[in-house]
Amino acid sequence: MTGRSLTHRSLTRRLARLGAPVFGVVGFLVSWQVLVRAFGTPKYLLPQPSDILRHIGSDPGFYLRNARTTLWEATLGFLLAFVTALTVATLMAHSRFIDRALQPMAVLIQVTPIIAYAPAIVVWRGFGLEPILIVTALVCFVPFLLNGVSGLRSVDPNLLELAHSVHATRREIFLRLRLPSALPFLFSAARIAVGLALIGAVLGEFFAGVTGGLGYAVKVAQAHVLPLQLWGSIFVLGFLGASATLAIGAVERVALRWHSSQRH
Amino acid sequence: MTTNETNRANRANRTNEQPDVGRRAHVRIEGVGKVFQRRGQITEALRDVDLDIAEGEFISLLGPSGCGKSTLLRIIGGLVSNDTGVVTVAGATPETAREAKQFGLVPQAPALLPWHTVAKNVRFLTDLHTSSASAAGSQTVLGSAEIDGLLAAVGLGSFHDALPHELSGGMQQRVSLVRAFALGAPILLMDEPFAALDEITRSDMRYLLLDLWQRSGATVVFVTHSVTEAVILSDRVVVMAPRPGRVVTVEDVSLARPRSPEMEDDPVFHEHVSRLRTHLRESHSA
Ligand SMILES: Nc1ncnc2c1ncn2[C@@H]1O[C@H](COP(=O)(O)OP(=O)(O)OP(=O)(O)O)[C@@H](O)[C@H]1O
Ligand SMILES: [Mg+2]
Repeated sequence: MTGRSLTHRSLTRRLARLGAPVFGVVGFLVSWQVLVRAFGTPKYLLPQPSDILRHIGSDPGFYLRNARTTLWEATLGFLLAFVTALTVATLMAHSRFIDRALQPMAVLIQVTPIIAYAPAIVVWRGFGLEPILIVTALVCFVPFLLNGVSGLRSVDPNLLELAHSVHATRREIFLRLRLPSALPFLFSAARIAVGLALIGAVLGEFFAGVTGGLGYAVKVAQAHVLPLQLWGSIFVLGFLGASATLAIGAVERVALRWHSSQRH
Repeated sequence: MTTNETNRANRANRTNEQPDVGRRAHVRIEGVGKVFQRRGQITEALRDVDLDIAEGEFISLLGPSGCGKSTLLRIIGGLVSNDTGVVTVAGATPETAREAKQFGLVPQAPALLPWHTVAKNVRFLTDLHTSSASAAGSQTVLGSAEIDGLLAAVGLGSFHDALPHELSGGMQQRVSLVRAFALGAPILLMDEPFAALDEITRSDMRYLLLDLWQRSGATVVFVTHSVTEAVILSDRVVVMAPRPGRVVTVEDVSLARPRSPEMEDDPVFHEHVSRLRTHLRESHSA
């Protein structure tokens, strides 16, 4: 086999790999379009994707402004959750007692529907950015916490013994062994938390009396029966979530070059 | 003169002489016992173990599974405390020796940091060593050029930037060996470092280890299941038996240094092997 046809084949394979997801999304939108037309569904019940996209294009400033607000809230909440969860996970990984004491709390936070205590947080903290951040951080907190604890505990016991054999300090063991071992776990959590952060931000906007963000745009569109704005906001939210997930995947591929999850 | 230089000097002029002649005990183990208790089940891992290990000596702990070899190694290294008896390492407790960074450990699995390159992995322990303020140990870690020299000596000269998963098991274990020798520690503790390797790789690794040891002059305590491995490597072989873990006998190996693969055909080698096998069998059936 010649080198040329080899590179040709690998190029085709690569295009196929990149093209498949695009094909899936476009295929979905086209079927939607075709079915809505075929059944003659009225625009105010379910608009066609082409109309939704055209609507977004007609007022990009509106979507850009609201997307920026929501993205900001989601990012802040995500980071807040990451930092607090990693701190608590460190305590839990070091002490069985703290671990046992906090496990039920973590489970409670996770299983109680966030939509139920979001209004309660708004009642407690008042309107504004703060309750949105708390709600967002709360939904992202548990995946970071549980994965963080497992990750910090996942250190190879042989490595721990090696470190002890040269009398390494707790700090060295944490920074040079536990934290890097936890990275693959934290990236898994981050991929889950990206979607959750957007849910938290949108939900927060529903209740927190703010007048910006895609959640607010959705609320207004529902109240005033604006199906194009409703679906336009949903599309932009989907786009945000997908982009953030791809970005995290890209960072992960570089940061975890050494890890088996990145090998094919 | 540092301990290290003394060791190297010792090594230089004792290539062919009998081991442990007129050298002081580096590690002294007297009446050591250890009992583990787990879920109500009591295991006597070691009972009344006496052993002196000379400076610069290569000594092997040989015995069936569960006879307390790893436990004894950990007690020497100050990683596990003994219940009875006394252990002194260069006149101090194992714990003090560990704090003074006197030990280089080679575990059974290579235990490399998967996120670091070979070059960084071999410096992992030395970095921990120098980063701590209490690194007032009597020995100095090897310099960068010396570490690179060791990597070249074990055939990994062109693998500095490789990640562990890109290496074979034998190559990973060589990295682990270099990492321990890079510490320049006066005592090396090796717990079945070659157990997971195939027979051919394993045989190469033995002579490689001997070469590294010869350069370093360190005292080596080497745990193994293999009678032939123990004989070809060691100055003395400690035969242990289980339930309770104890020392059955200590065999002086009368093969000259440096050892070579041809010696494995030597009748002396075979005498040692068959005598050790007999000891193992007898202690087993007893
Ligand atoms: N941390 C521990 N807790 C409880 N029991 C232990 C512990 N460590 C070792 N033991 C027991 O002590 C005995 C000796 O164990 P050790 O690991 O020293 O044996 P070994 O000679 O190294 O065996 P192997 O060749 O299988 O590695 C075994 O019965 C083992 O189950
Ligand atoms: Mg063992």
